[in-house]
Amino acid sequence: MPTPTSIPVVDGLFDVQDGAPALVGAKCTACGTHYFPRRARCSNPACNGAEAAPVRLGPRGVLYSWSVQAYRPPPLFGMDPWAPYAIGLVDLPEGVRVMAMLTGAPPEAFQIGSPMQLRLEPLRVDADGREVLTWKFAPVAEHVA
Amino acid sequence: MRPVYVLGVGAHPWGKFPETPQVQLAAHALGAALRDAGLGWRDLGGLVAASSRFEGGLGWGLHANELLQSVAELGIPTLNVGGGCAAGGIAVHSTALMIASGQCEIAAAVGAERMPKGFIPRPPGTKDDPTDSDYLRWVAMGATNPVYWALEARRRMHEFGTTEETYAAASVLMHRNAVGNPLARYRAECTVAEVLASPVVASPLRLLELCAVSDGAAAVILGTESAARRLGVPLVRVAGYATATGSFGDPATRIPTISTNPVAGAPHTSEVATAARRAMAMAGLGPEDVDLVELADNSVWQVLAWPEMLGFCEPGQADWMLTHGEFDLDGEMPVNPSGGFLSFGEATTAQGLLQVCELAWQLRGQATGRQVPGAKVGMSAILGLGANGASIVLQA
Ligand SMILES: [Zn+2]
Repeated sequence: MPTPTSIPVVDGLFDVQDGAPALVGAKCTACGTHYFPRRARCSNPACNGAEAAPVRLGPRGVLYSWSVQAYRPPPLFGMDPWAPYAIGLVDLPEGVRVMAMLTGAPPEAFQIGSPMQLRLEPLRVDADGREVLTWKFAPVAEHVA
Repeated sequence: MRPVYVLGVGAHPWGKFPETPQVQLAAHALGAALRDAGLGWRDLGGLVAASSRFEGGLGWGLHANELLQSVAELGIPTLNVGGGCAAGGIAVHSTALMIASGQCEIAAAVGAERMPKGFIPRPPGTKDDPTDSDYLRWVAMGATNPVYWALEARRRMHEFGTTEETYAAASVLMHRNAVGNPLARYRAECTVAEVLASPVVASPLRLLELCAVSDGAAAVILGTESAARRLGVPLVRVAGYATATGSFGDPATRIPTISTNPVAGAPHTSEVATAARRAMAMAGLGPEDVDLVELADNSVWQVLAWPEMLGFCEPGQADWMLTHGEFDLDGEMPVNPSGGFLSFGEATTAQGLLQVCELAWQLRGQATGRQVPGAKVGMSAILGLGANGASIVLQA
């Protein structure tokens, strides 16, 4: 049976190398500040508009804060089936704090300070039967009760 | 730069007015401000409109020229300024500069808005652009505006031990203040139990802890000292006025971004903190001199976090201040005697102007039903989409 195909919700935000997912961001060529998503220039005024080059970020981080959205967002958000879900801010070791959907635990069960792991998971299945993937963070396995 | 005075203030009540065109709301507010000053339309020397993406002739938001074409074709200079919710504060700043620079003797700032229903969406017709974070936050994770405040609120609970009851008490205070304000949309008192019983929108924040969206309009007329004395209005000086943008390393995750680059020690919500610091320095005053503050309470989180950010109390102290009545009308540092965004609902461009109207009414002793006793110095602080900040300091 052929593997079901999947597509990213938006091109260029994450990739998989040797089976390992990572977010694709950028790193300032002058001061080393990391950004997500990719961008052309560093905004540190000390860098005077220095270029930022693509870089892979993650896949581990620490949960800075989280919330559960109880009401369905506007239709541009194509989660299907929809249910209340958690969104969090995750501090990556590169110094960038990334917003993401959270997974791997019940919506209200997350804890600030937990080690988190990047996962690519489907938001929905599109009309061609492909999984539409977005990036999420889940508690690192050994920390799940 | 010459001193600038408040000549008149006025507002249209907040609510939902689908049958009233935006320009009519603006004319109502500016007309009220002109009457308050004892002036007519023909006396205006300049007009600044606070503009947003939600509505407005020609697609560029409320436009000063459009208002003049509908009421008085004066040939005067106009400015149209943006900055999301901060646009009203930015408009007062621009108007003050028109007076201070010698360009105008009398000039006005006006904001008027009719908001779309529900979660604030993307501008109509926006392209799906993968480099636009306002596209990414919707399509990739469905992050609504309330979730940004919820993430701050949850973090505060972790750092300072703020409880859900304390957040609810902040909502109770805002609604209690609004009972005395006929301009507010929500004027019924509520209890902590009622707030906690309202549905969770984005945990830990509930419906009564988040500002709704409303329609409304407000206007401020500024002028020289000689104009103020000639008109015989109460002498309220625009002692400080400043705008600012965000600083590198600010840990705030701003709507509609999906990441931030926090630098240790960098100030939070720096666009507002910086604007307030500049306005205070211009006025030659410190936080201890301020008798009341009107701050942008998009949620109950701001009611606690911003008085700390503005220097009215130490980080983590606001919970104690609130629960001991120090943010009340007769407390040490009254917060939002108007009732704030939580009691008005956000009418984007009008919000920063309403704040300055309220400061003027308070300093004149005209804030019947919500008066801060003996108020001599009032400060506004407002945040606009992205990283726009503005702050106005009035002194009687
Ligand atoms: Zn740099």
